[in-house]
Amino acid sequence: MANPQQNALKNIVIVGGGSAGWMTAAALSSMLSPRSVSVTLIESDQIGTVGVGEATIPDIINFNAMLGINEAEFLKATNGTFKLGIEFTDWGQKGESYIHPFGGHGVDMQGIDFHQYWLHSKAGGNPAKLQDYSLCALAAENNKFTLPDQNPRSVLSHMRYAYHIDATLYAKYLRKYAEDRGIKRVEGKVETVQQQNENGNIISLTLENGDVIEGDFFFDCTGFRALLTDKTLDVPFTDWSHWLPCDTAQTLATERVGPLLPYTKATAKTAGWQWRIPTQHRTGNGHIYSSQYMKDDEAIEVLMEGLDSKPLGEPRKIRFKTGYRETLWNKNCIAIGLSAGFLEPLESTSLFLIQMGISRFITLFPTADFSDAVRDEYNIQMRKEFHQVRDFIILHYVATQRDDSPFWNYCRNMSIPDSLKRKIDLFKEAGRIFRYDDELFSKPSWIAVCIGQNILPKSTDPIVGSLPHDQVEHSLGTMRNAMKQATQKMPMHSDFLKQYGAAV
Amino acid sequence: MQDVKIRNIIIVGGGTAGWMVAAGMSRLIQDDDIKIRLIESAQIGTVGVGEATIPHIAYYNRLLGLDENDFVRKTNATFKLGIEFVNWGKQGERYIHPFGAYGVDMEGLHFHNFWHRYNQMGQAPHIDNYCLQIRAAKMGKFQRPDARLKNSPLNSIVYAFQFDASLYAKFMSDFAQARGVVRTEGKITQVSQAPESGNVQSVTLENGDVYDGDLFIDCSGFRGLLIEQTLKTGYEDWSAVLPCNRAVARASQSPGEPEPYTRATAKKAGWQWRIPLQSRIGNGHVYCSEFMKDEEALDSLNKDLGETPISEPNFLRFRTGIRKKTWNKNVVSLGLAAGFLEPLESTSIHLIQTAIARLMASFPDKNFAQSNIDYFNSRTHLEYEQVRDFLVLHYHATERDDTPFWRYCKNMAIPDTLKNRIDLYKENARLYRHDNEVFGETSWFSVMHGQGITPKTYHPLANSLPEEVLAGRMVQMHRTIENCLDQMPSHQEFIDANCNFETKSIDKR
Repeated sequence: MANPQQNALKNIVIVGGGSAGWMTAAALSSMLSPRSVSVTLIESDQIGTVGVGEATIPDIINFNAMLGINEAEFLKATNGTFKLGIEFTDWGQKGESYIHPFGGHGVDMQGIDFHQYWLHSKAGGNPAKLQDYSLCALAAENNKFTLPDQNPRSVLSHMRYAYHIDATLYAKYLRKYAEDRGIKRVEGKVETVQQQNENGNIISLTLENGDVIEGDFFFDCTGFRALLTDKTLDVPFTDWSHWLPCDTAQTLATERVGPLLPYTKATAKTAGWQWRIPTQHRTGNGHIYSSQYMKDDEAIEVLMEGLDSKPLGEPRKIRFKTGYRETLWNKNCIAIGLSAGFLEPLESTSLFLIQMGISRFITLFPTADFSDAVRDEYNIQMRKEFHQVRDFIILHYVATQRDDSPFWNYCRNMSIPDSLKRKIDLFKEAGRIFRYDDELFSKPSWIAVCIGQNILPKSTDPIVGSLPHDQVEHSLGTMRNAMKQATQKMPMHSDFLKQYGAAV
Repeated sequence: MQDVKIRNIIIVGGGTAGWMVAAGMSRLIQDDDIKIRLIESAQIGTVGVGEATIPHIAYYNRLLGLDENDFVRKTNATFKLGIEFVNWGKQGERYIHPFGAYGVDMEGLHFHNFWHRYNQMGQAPHIDNYCLQIRAAKMGKFQRPDARLKNSPLNSIVYAFQFDASLYAKFMSDFAQARGVVRTEGKITQVSQAPESGNVQSVTLENGDVYDGDLFIDCSGFRGLLIEQTLKTGYEDWSAVLPCNRAVARASQSPGEPEPYTRATAKKAGWQWRIPLQSRIGNGHVYCSEFMKDEEALDSLNKDLGETPISEPNFLRFRTGIRKKTWNKNVVSLGLAAGFLEPLESTSIHLIQTAIARLMASFPDKNFAQSNIDYFNSRTHLEYEQVRDFLVLHYHATERDDTPFWRYCKNMAIPDTLKNRIDLYKENARLYRHDNEVFGETSWFSVMHGQGITPKTYHPLANSLPEEVLAGRMVQMHRTIENCLDQMPSHQEFIDANCNFETKSIDKR
């Protein structure tokens, strides 16, 4: 057996800064010794990044932990706030809203999911909403926050959270982190790409100023342009816009006013939806829509109407196409970030998909003469990840009763992937949901959206149905009270942040 | 609203599968409205031989709320730390597939990467020295994990059981009947179906009694009385990759203290199991009839018995594969009625247990929603495929070419899922556990390594530890395991102190 050092990668090149590039650089710098591998990141100040106010999901905590980043310091550096979930308004029907919280609802009993008990109790006349049994949702509704308790018996152990951050500041923070650990940053624009004749592997990049950067492995973090993946290697793009027809966004920051919300808002509009992401100093807003169903002018009007404070600057337009590349690792190059694919930020998964792209690479870390088996495994695993996220996002569009616009009429009636159809059918039957293959969105997420958008099962679990009514009501009441009391004791989100990680 | 509640559950067949599901349901369904009846005939034998299990059985026991010592005592059981495979990779070689992990994972990487590196640095001790379970198995030692010991391998011992399957069925039967399951003796001679739906409505016994049911559980063994003979569900044959189709089983005298592990010895056209119980040894020779005659198989079994036989040989025929739908209409099949995978990795009871859990999670009403059934079937199928792949690995990863049987196995086409996994390990020692499969990284590593698959290289990040640091840790781990072994009682001592089969009568006093 060979020591991996004999055929080790010696020169890793990352093309493009931004969240994807600097997350990759930071992760590699935390793992690799600069003595054995050189890592170079090429970026150009002339090329802007897409980074807007960014919402995340709890997995980012693992990424930061892997890097050994201190949470308070991170919040200060990125203008960050805490996030307990997303409030969806006008999705199922106009005038309705629900919270998709992190963490589950209630407590499972006798091996049966909590929501079965709730469905049973609701059928018996209990008016309480499902989210009344979620600690994260209760805290969110009251603008409260506290960190989870490690003691599994404490009610507060049910807290799960993520962050709202300024993505540009996050990239800047990671840049410093990576440079401190020996990553080399090269300023410049890539002009041409040189490939090996026999196998098509990339061997070097030539910059505008004539400098040549050689490498034995490349990361394409060049955003929508996909400089290496698309322009050089010609990897085909799989278009999903028939399932997710939005293709344009108008973004705009506003002044921060009112209480600091510990959650993201996603409000459905006539031909898309609008986000609201609160960071410490300002609020990020964006209206995502389908250009087939709405003109830019109208979209800007909708955006402005939906703002709750004074705009800072002018709206910025971003065009995109939803879909991904089936093979993210081609030759000796991996696409990470927008070059890999785009799924709208409805469930805040952009940074997550970047993070998965990086951690999968690290577990599969190849030698310079790696075989197809390694590359195939990466592509299989990433493909699954994209499909799972895609299905969950489509669920929000298809599970609607709205018929007030051609856009919603399309979404309500469109054909959907079989994998999603099976899930919805199974839920409609008796409220069963199963988590496949370690998928990102687990049972509570599917349940929150299905029930929040009025997919109610025909029947409930027959075994719950046979339990004494009083006993079920009593258990539910106890849980709800415990969560209510715990929420009352929590500090306000803004107060907690002030003493924990306020930016200067 | 129309009443769609299931009130009558009929279980057909009373072997291991039948009584396990009866026991499970009697515990989980606390509803006086729902009646559970199990029909079995004393005339029809069960296949049950000495049976080995995997650690997941602990979940089932916990679900039922069993007292483990009581359970061990009543089923003639011993403890099991793994399986020893003899003559698989090459003749004369042996390795143990342990239930517990090797060494300690470091820097987010599996231990075996570090062992590979350490081996390269010089003379690493054999990988077995880093696994407490393997060392304990070889020395005939056993104890349960001791949670009070922090940072000691003794707090994470993982084990299963080897027991007498007939006694196990009896144990489950007592449990179920004590909780309201009604046992009916009789042979089913007729099955009637609803005209439109084709659902099974009732079964008629030899004596003319008719039993109606809403949900039927077919545990009738290979013949699949309801799932196949009545519903003609069809069978997916996997014998191209697992060609063994016969077994001959026989018990022998116990030579002394029982080993805390099962042995599987590869032979000319199959393999032989050896499962030590407290008072005797279960043996069986699994073979392929295309490559070996029954008489030769029996001779070979007898020759390798080692001790005096104490039962007549029992011949079994099977075909490896799975029912096309293990749940069809209102019939759910379990155990051998659902499919067959040879007991090389002791998965039979596990597959019954997970199917029961899945059935309970998807418990139907009288509408028998197709989406519910489809889900059950696709997951059951996936689970069988995962076990199949792992079994095929044992036959395929061999250098043996001494018989036509082994030449066939070595060269046969294998499923892509398995091929990818072997290729990836060969490339750089990477292993993954997919989709919650029952066998994790330790198991895949153990068999691949034990059967001579050597990766080209290991994970490069295993080089991140300085040589002295790695060497220091490796020595420390080795020493810790030796220290633990000094403290462990022998398997027999442990049984005597906690759960001896022979002392059962004393307890009853």
